[in-house]
Amino acid sequence: MFRRQFLAGGSAIGAATIAGCGSLESRAIDVPPVLDDPPDAIYVPGHVEGMDLVGTETTGEYTVGLSYSYPHRFWTITGNERERTSIDETDSVHLMATVWDPETGLVLPDVGVSIEITQDGSLVSQETVYAMLSQPMGVHHGGNFTGLSDGETYAVRVAVGATASRPTGTFTGRFDEPATATFEFTFETSAMQAIRFERLDRAGERDALEGMSMDAVPTGVALAPEAIPGRTATTMADDIRYVASLVDPPAGVDGQESYLAVSPRTRYNGYSLSRMGLSATLEDDETVTDGQLTRTIDPDLGYHYGTTVPAVDSAELSITVDTPPQVARHEGYETAFFDVPTAKLSL
Amino acid sequence: MQAMEARPGYDRRQFLKTAVAAGGTVALSACLEISDEQVPGGVGDPSSLPDRQHAWNDRVRSDEYGNVSLPRHQSLLYLALDRDGPPTDADRKVVGGALRTLDRAYERSNEGLIHSIAYSPAYFERFDEPLPASVDLPQPRRLSPFEEPQFDTQDALLHLASDRAEVILEAEAALQGEREQVNGVAVDVSITDALTVDDRRSGFVGPGMPADRQDVAGIPDTEPVPEAAPLFMGFEAGFRGNQATEDYVTIDSGPFAGGTTKHVSRLRQRLEDWYVEQDFEDRVTELFSPAHAAEGLVEGVGENLGSDSGLTPEMIENVREHAREFGRVGHAQKAARANRDEEGNVRLLRRHVESTDGDVAALHFPSLQQGISAFEEVRRAMNGTDLTDEPAIRQRVNNGILEYIFTTHRGNFLVPPRRHRVLPSPRPA
Ligand code: HEM
Repeated sequence: MFRRQFLAGGSAIGAATIAGCGSLESRAIDVPPVLDDPPDAIYVPGHVEGMDLVGTETTGEYTVGLSYSYPHRFWTITGNERERTSIDETDSVHLMATVWDPETGLVLPDVGVSIEITQDGSLVSQETVYAMLSQPMGVHHGGNFTGLSDGETYAVRVAVGATASRPTGTFTGRFDEPATATFEFTFETSAMQAIRFERLDRAGERDALEGMSMDAVPTGVALAPEAIPGRTATTMADDIRYVASLVDPPAGVDGQESYLAVSPRTRYNGYSLSRMGLSATLEDDETVTDGQLTRTIDPDLGYHYGTTVPAVDSAELSITVDTPPQVARHEGYETAFFDVPTAKLSL
Repeated sequence: MQAMEARPGYDRRQFLKTAVAAGGTVALSACLEISDEQVPGGVGDPSSLPDRQHAWNDRVRSDEYGNVSLPRHQSLLYLALDRDGPPTDADRKVVGGALRTLDRAYERSNEGLIHSIAYSPAYFERFDEPLPASVDLPQPRRLSPFEEPQFDTQDALLHLASDRAEVILEAEAALQGEREQVNGVAVDVSITDALTVDDRRSGFVGPGMPADRQDVAGIPDTEPVPEAAPLFMGFEAGFRGNQATEDYVTIDSGPFAGGTTKHVSRLRQRLEDWYVEQDFEDRVTELFSPAHAAEGLVEGVGENLGSDSGLTPEMIENVREHAREFGRVGHAQKAARANRDEEGNVRLLRRHVESTDGDVAALHFPSLQQGISAFEEVRRAMNGTDLTDEPAIRQRVNNGILEYIFTTHRGNFLVPPRRHRVLPSPRPA
């Protein structure tokens, strides 16, 4: 069901060795260091790691997929600041939860997620995990967890909180309740060792590893421009590709004649860029609209940033990033999407 | 439970701390062997005690600024009535007798024992008639878009508090019929003849206590909790200026005038990122406000703050500007938005204590207010959901302390005035 298929290039230097105790001390040396001088852009990281699926479960209004991999270093983002979270020697595993709408398969990047791990009813760990973006793994929520022992079985409860993005269209009124999915997870270092780990010889190149093809779990690739209704146009600013469209206002949005939806996605893999502050100016002869867009999730428009506008025949749109995506970044994304120039396109 | 003995050289304080958390008779018998100080006795006539069960402030210690120090050891007994339907006269005789025994045995103070009993909406549903409109006591419910707590719907909650661990333990033993005498007073009835202890939760609060007990799940192994901190998160709380008065939280009309309502939640604390990822300034930002950090208003555990938290009306009003400017908002700042009435009075009287039950760091959070709605409004303000349109403010991240606390239980109770404290009907005469 779950194919570990990597289309990314790179040279294998053999599987990494792992200490058999649930910590990764001996393996840590095999993780290539972070590049000294990465470009201020999306780039190919020094290595690629696979992951294994624990399972998927539908709970409340959500389907949750739980996967795991080696502990990861990643960068958390607050406003324009980036802070590195290094691998701690006590970290056992990186857990990743992907949450989507079971009906449309759309990933919900703006829910809150926390993960609790128990064994025989007693608490092993519990953390609020971060919304994340990873080249091979796409849009997910994840974090490193400590305290797991080889061969032991745990109950992993993934708690999903309501979405912070506005649900519109047939999503109106949905995703406002929490729900929890429970998985049984046996932590086996031998299984973890079998997860792909490869160094890459093109580290630092301006490109991205392709997403892992996962049949069971969507990676959060944004809708193709052709799939978005209305009058659409596409443009790029640095590593952000924007698809903008003018459509009839979806249900759940008050007012006006028309609706502007802007869907930003990553340059190479087309992953939805969530949790940004975006503002837009739409002008024909005079300014039609000027202001902040609202983070929105819609079954037809996908995850986007939108606002109502008066009807216009043809107009010039400029899109400004006020706040870069507030998602934690796996390697290769940590320097991207900052200081993005204003994008302009004709609609 | 581990058997405990009083070993030579074994610090008594160390011993007692394990004892209240462990509870039960093993702890107790060992405990009583090594306690030698005289505990002050109670009153001959319990009806001479003040009518407000929640009047604790003038019976406990306060510091030089008038901030109340809660008794260091506490226990919450969740009690279930052993029958269907309303309680009988016999039940009332038992419960009344057991509570009067405690009043006679112990001075009502931090040196002796402070106790109060409260009743849940589920208890009042045993009666045909509803509670009067003057009592705002809904069933407990979910108060954030990300929590799924268990609801405590037991009939009653008996809250015990003392600076002396052994007093709590001995009072519990007496209530459960395991003592013939308690602090020199004869025990005629045990509360467990009418009520079953469904759950027992223990708590503690005060400088040094969290640091002493930080070897539990939820606190990183680096022992980061400052010695001076009364709470695991490393700061003082409950300043006089940020607390409602007992007068203010008192129900002022109807049959339960003189009583109050009590919401009690239990929050599991996960302080790995709090102490390891965050530095002191980050912690001040997230607990108080970004302005507190920028202006260096908090020193150490907050000992410089005096009689209030330093939160100004501007900081409360500017929470959105702070979100934009700093990418973070503070816990106290957010909660305060709903914690003032039109005249500027504080609405909630918070009496939270720490817990290591089950070797897990948690907070028991009793809050008193005129009506439960006031608590619900403040908790919703603390969620900061309205601020998450600012993308740096996530549902739980950069949003006060929500990243580190996980609500596991919620319960709502009415603390009747003393005259109705024994298994009251919804409309007592
Ligand atoms: C581990 C959990 C918590 C800790 C460590 C904590 C700590 C603090 C601290 C240090 C302050 C500032 C000082 C003060 O005014 O007391 C504060 C204020 C406050 N907290 Fe908490 N708190 C916690 C949970 C809660 C919860 C669950 C609520 C529920 C509503 C809450 C409500 C408030 C309120 C209303 C204020 C006062 C704000 C004002 O000035 O009006 N706290 N808290």
